Amino acid sequence: MQEKDLIKNLKDLKQIKPNQDWAFWLKSNILETKPQSHLYKPKIKLAVFSFIPKYQKVLIPSLMAFFFVFSFTFAQTTLPGNVLYPIKTLTQNAKIHFASENTKPLIRLEVVKTRMEDLSKVENHQKEISAIAKNIGKDLEIVSQEIKNINNKQVALNISKDIQARSKGLKDLADNISLEDKEREALNQSVENSQSQVLALIIQTTDDINECPSYLKDKLVDLGKYFTDAQEGLYQWSSGDIIKSRNLFIEASDAFKAGDCLTAIDKIESINKLLSIHSLDVQVETSTPETLDSPGEIF
Amino acid sequence: MDKKEFSEFYNKNIDKVFRFIYLRVDTTETAQDLTSLAFLKLWKRQDSEISNSTAFLYRIARNQIIDFYRSKSKKPISLDKAGEIADFQVAQPTFVEKIELTLEMKRIKKVIQNIKPIYADVIIWHYIDDLSSKEIAQILKKREGNVRVIIHRALQALKEQLEV
Repeated sequence: MQEKDLIKNLKDLKQIKPNQDWAFWLKSNILETKPQSHLYKPKIKLAVFSFIPKYQKVLIPSLMAFFFVFSFTFAQTTLPGNVLYPIKTLTQNAKIHFASENTKPLIRLEVVKTRMEDLSKVENHQKEISAIAKNIGKDLEIVSQEIKNINNKQVALNISKDIQARSKGLKDLADNISLEDKEREALNQSVENSQSQVLALIIQTTDDINECPSYLKDKLVDLGKYFTDAQEGLYQWSSGDIIKSRNLFIEASDAFKAGDCLTAIDKIESINKLLSIHSLDVQVETSTPETLDSPGEIF
Repeated sequence: MDKKEFSEFYNKNIDKVFRFIYLRVDTTETAQDLTSLAFLKLWKRQDSEISNSTAFLYRIARNQIIDFYRSKSKKPISLDKAGEIADFQVAQPTFVEKIELTLEMKRIKKVIQNIKPIYADVIIWHYIDDLSSKEIAQILKKREGNVRVIIHRALQALKEQLEV
């Protein structure tokens, strides 16, 4: 079949037509139905924010947490007069509050130093500066009080010395703060008072430590008797332990004679440990001199 | 497209679409059903942005044929059921008349149904419905050049089948 004939035959298929009644009936039926757009109109939402309702429960707390952390972090770099500075002072106060008794005075002094450094960087906001300066004075008074609260005299002494060293630059810092003469004088006075109090504490604590209580002598006598009289009890000891305990006893006696009570107590405590190891129920009170008012039984 | 516009569009295209479907399926009833569904879908989508309604209608019709053969190959589906699915009452049997075809026309119809569907489509559109290759390209979403190649190959395939 030629291509022409084929195309002609194909054209003949144009005669195929639907039943006209059906065609009319179909059109009428279609036009009677409602178009889809009248039945359903989808809500249009911005796709960018479509996730918000879905993750609302997570998103809002996350944003709040982020905002809180950001504010908290940023606040640490602020200076007096800034809106976020109270957050910084609040954080510093929390640090002091949660510190242990032994470290509290040191942390308070560091906070005082930081605040004085902050004040020295600010020139305006006179009201805030005055208020903070007053609080610094109060904090400095508390430092010496907190040192007194430390039970262990040796620790108190060490901290006092540390504070004495660290508080040397406080006066220079106070001079750099833009305060009125009266206020500056008051702050300088507070710094001086604090330094004097700390120095007084150092002297007093050193004396306390060096003054050996009389009962310490009794302990040493008892221990001496034990090592000379209770030879039978020592036969189970290893020769090393016997030599070690006797050396400790000699060292404790020497320290006591030299007035070094702390070393004497330390040596007695070591002897006590050896006695405990060898199942001898021996106790020697080896706390600081103040707590040695009621010495316990050695044997 | 309002009712008037649709009515005009319907009158202009009903013969072509029916013929296109009729040449691809076995019975008049099936052709009527699929034609009904095609026009109904177009009417229901009238608010959508359709740039070329004729091309869109042919695409619907083509998909109806594909779906018809797909469902036929899986399991037979009654035409009443098809009407229910489409939420539309199917053609009444009283409207079905036997279309008189010459022997040659029957032969060509049979061959059209045996060649590749894409070839059958372009043969009907180009040689029977007088659609240009550009219009066919819009329906098939292909390049005009590609369509010309398909038309040429389709005619060759039809010729070969007729000679067998």
